[in-house]
Amino acid sequence: MAISAATKAATDALAVNRAPVSVGAQEVHRWMQSFTWDFEKNRTKYSTKYKMANDTKEQFKLIAKEYARMESVKDERQFGSLQDVLTRVDAANRVHPKWNESMKVISNFLEVGEYNAIAATGMLWDSATAPEQKNGYLGQVMDEIRHTNQCGYINYYFAKQGQDAAGHNDARRTRAIGPLWKGMKRVFSDGFISGDAVECSINLQLVGEACFTNPLIVAVTEWASANGDEMTPTVFLSIETDELRHMANGYQTVVSIANDEAASKYLNTDLNNAFWTQQKYFTPVLGMMFEYGSHFKVEPWVKTWNRWVYEDWGGIWIGRLGKYGVQSPASLRDAKKDAYWAHHDLFMIAYALWPTGFFRVTLPTAEEAEWYEANYPGWYDMYGKVYDEWRARGCEDPDSGFLPLQWFIENNHPIYIDRVSQVPFCPSYCKGASTLRVLEYNGKKHSFSDQWGERMWLSEPERYECQNIWEQYEGRELSEVITEGHGLRSDGKTLISQPHTNKDGKMWTLDDIKKINCVFSDPLKAL
Amino acid sequence: MSIEVSGGRRGLTDPVLAAEIMAAIPDQPLETQRKMNYFMTPRGKRINEYEVLCCYTQPTPDWIPGGLDWGDWTQKFHGGRPSWSNESTEMRSSDWLKHRDPAFRWHALYVKDKAEEWRYTDRFLKAYSADGHVRSMDPVWRDEVLGDYLGAFGFSEYGLFNSHSSVVRDCLGDTLRMSSAMIGLDKVDNAQMIQIERTFLAKLVPGFPESTDIPKNEWTKGVIFKGSREVVQQIWQETYDWNEILFSGHMIYDPLFGQFVRREFFSRLSSYYGDTLTPFFINQMQLYFSQTKGITTDMFHTCLAADEQFGDYNIRLMRAWADKWLPRTITSLKDFMGIFSKIPEIKGVSDKPAIEAALGRVFDDWKHDFADPIGYKVDTAALIKTVLTGLK
Ligand SMILES: [Fe+2]
Ligand SMILES: [Fe+2]
Repeated sequence: MAISAATKAATDALAVNRAPVSVGAQEVHRWMQSFTWDFEKNRTKYSTKYKMANDTKEQFKLIAKEYARMESVKDERQFGSLQDVLTRVDAANRVHPKWNESMKVISNFLEVGEYNAIAATGMLWDSATAPEQKNGYLGQVMDEIRHTNQCGYINYYFAKQGQDAAGHNDARRTRAIGPLWKGMKRVFSDGFISGDAVECSINLQLVGEACFTNPLIVAVTEWASANGDEMTPTVFLSIETDELRHMANGYQTVVSIANDEAASKYLNTDLNNAFWTQQKYFTPVLGMMFEYGSHFKVEPWVKTWNRWVYEDWGGIWIGRLGKYGVQSPASLRDAKKDAYWAHHDLFMIAYALWPTGFFRVTLPTAEEAEWYEANYPGWYDMYGKVYDEWRARGCEDPDSGFLPLQWFIENNHPIYIDRVSQVPFCPSYCKGASTLRVLEYNGKKHSFSDQWGERMWLSEPERYECQNIWEQYEGRELSEVITEGHGLRSDGKTLISQPHTNKDGKMWTLDDIKKINCVFSDPLKAL
Repeated sequence: MSIEVSGGRRGLTDPVLAAEIMAAIPDQPLETQRKMNYFMTPRGKRINEYEVLCCYTQPTPDWIPGGLDWGDWTQKFHGGRPSWSNESTEMRSSDWLKHRDPAFRWHALYVKDKAEEWRYTDRFLKAYSADGHVRSMDPVWRDEVLGDYLGAFGFSEYGLFNSHSSVVRDCLGDTLRMSSAMIGLDKVDNAQMIQIERTFLAKLVPGFPESTDIPKNEWTKGVIFKGSREVVQQIWQETYDWNEILFSGHMIYDPLFGQFVRREFFSRLSSYYGDTLTPFFINQMQLYFSQTKGITTDMFHTCLAADEQFGDYNIRLMRAWADKWLPRTITSLKDFMGIFSKIPEIKGVSDKPAIEAALGRVFDDWKHDFADPIGYKVDTAALIKTVLTGLK
């Protein structure tokens, strides 16, 4: 069209229609795919054995500004609730103390996952070639920043308003002392960011988000609210509204590689490894946090697990990917067996190591013991009676001089750490499937608790050589380790962690620990 | 009562559950230190909300300076490369967690601002269209310059946006990571705003090409953006050091090339061609530029150049990077001078003296804000002279 004619057309068009006109997000998004261009060195900095297709689409069609609008609306609601009515009704002081403690861990550990997901989706934004796919990952990068801040906000809120700020106020520093941290890093930190980019996407989105984030974020809100905590549902459900896009990103990633030959060779192995990696930690840890970290119970973890993990994820979600050659992981059956007892085994160890935590833990009460026995027949004979013994020996009382860890030593039940998952296990006293396997590599002994982790180790030991807490603390006395890791309250002597949440119970101090003279030793050295 | 509760009974509102909970709660709070992250050193007088919510979320061990954790990575790349490592950059720091966005924006504050900008953009476009403002726009400016060259500049913004992906993956600190994602998002926002403007014009001016084909052709094959395209490609895909990516993009290329194109070309000239639409978008880009400048000068000047242990070394490295990236940026500006032969000349506005003055403003700003703080010696007059040889 000639230029002057175009101007005339604009004038004429205006004469006919003076209605205000704007531009919607989708009208911009439809051009997105053409924003990139080909050039010689246009390739990702993160290698992957898969090839992601250039024309991969993304279904949410957001642009930067629309993303911001959508999220800020959610923020207004969420922070409005927290700062207004929940504060006025003093909600943080109406949470059951056991749950107050659990949120120290849950919120902080989820924060780690959210934080690492920022880096993980940065990597995927880099490795995707299609601009729409890059855009989907960019949205997730921003979401994961949001979620990091939101998880932090929970600890911040509980610290400022709640009944026991210790641990909430310094989780980012004190979390590194205890036995749950390294395993956390494997699943929610390094597992998301270190490896083949697509393998990381499978860990993060296909398994982490699609399989475990649902129980973690959704089920946790039910447990929270039963135990008086309305802050966590307010924040976590707001987080969850972003997760749909993330699961779609994971789905699209599989779609983008589906036609690649490498997918038929490697995809199911990567998925199986990712599933086992994630479940090895989350199955016991989530079950433990829910059941042992609450007063009021919602349902036995094994039921939740079967519904979310086995049926919804292993069946429906993976089933939807079946047309792309994705199969239910071979390790799912073993995981299902573990989902019954693994969290009970882990709690025993976690409780025995309570002084290294940044939260207070509680032995099951009589009515809880009944609930466990009813839902997990055989529970009392294995665990309940040991807890009775510990309690009788004064494990909750600082004057007793008794740490349950001593029970493991006296009875010759060494606690090992699985090298690949970094999850502690006691092969001689457990009902779960853990069995001890020991391999030598690089002049060092390495223990493993299951065949799936051992396989990962055997094919790529250089990826999993990380030292464990026993190796780190070997020969050191417990109170020293606690002091060094800042495990003390602001009075400089009382431990943050405690073996009870009894409001009338005495709190343990560093001196109480010192008196016991508990020195760490690495059980692998004794082999 | 049973401890298993069903039917969504809530401990806060169910009187039976609430009574049992209240009975278990300690009479006095167990801890008096209520400030989260109380152990950290704040940038200002006291720890602010941004610092509470962002700082020390990075879980690095102490052998990456600033980290609070210990030991090794629990899973590494194939072959054993670590998750994060000091070797990912040539810069050295005694604390990788020291950076702060000077505006202290955590996610909620960042999206709140951008959401307001979006709502206002929508209202502005409606008013602009209903007002018939587009009738005053010079047709050559509109069809050639906005349709073609503004569109092509969008690719520069889009490429810079993508250069942030590996920074977001590799950088060694939490506040660095969040800031990098935010300034990256602003760049894709710029690219998208350019397309918003072009789509908007297509709605108002029948026949105005909305498609990205012509601009893309200009960007990939034309001579005006040849130099800038090459620099953007090098920043985006040839540079692996995450600090060098940020430095080359935000401390050299964008404050010179980006500033000239946005502020001195599109924004300054548009009003002379009856275009009040483009400045609306460019002004948002300039807001992002100034916020980004706050962020990256904090990274490179406040933190790295002033690092007690490594400051001198870092400054030398920054100068070496400036030596590497400045000539390429000069070439991109020189190539861009070709655009002036495409528009009707306006005396005192788009003639050579006016262009020289515009370049003078950009180079003066750059010298003052970016070169002087690291003691980088630069003859701006000579650089401007080189750029001007690109005038046809
Ligand atoms: Fe998330
Ligand atoms: Fe997510």
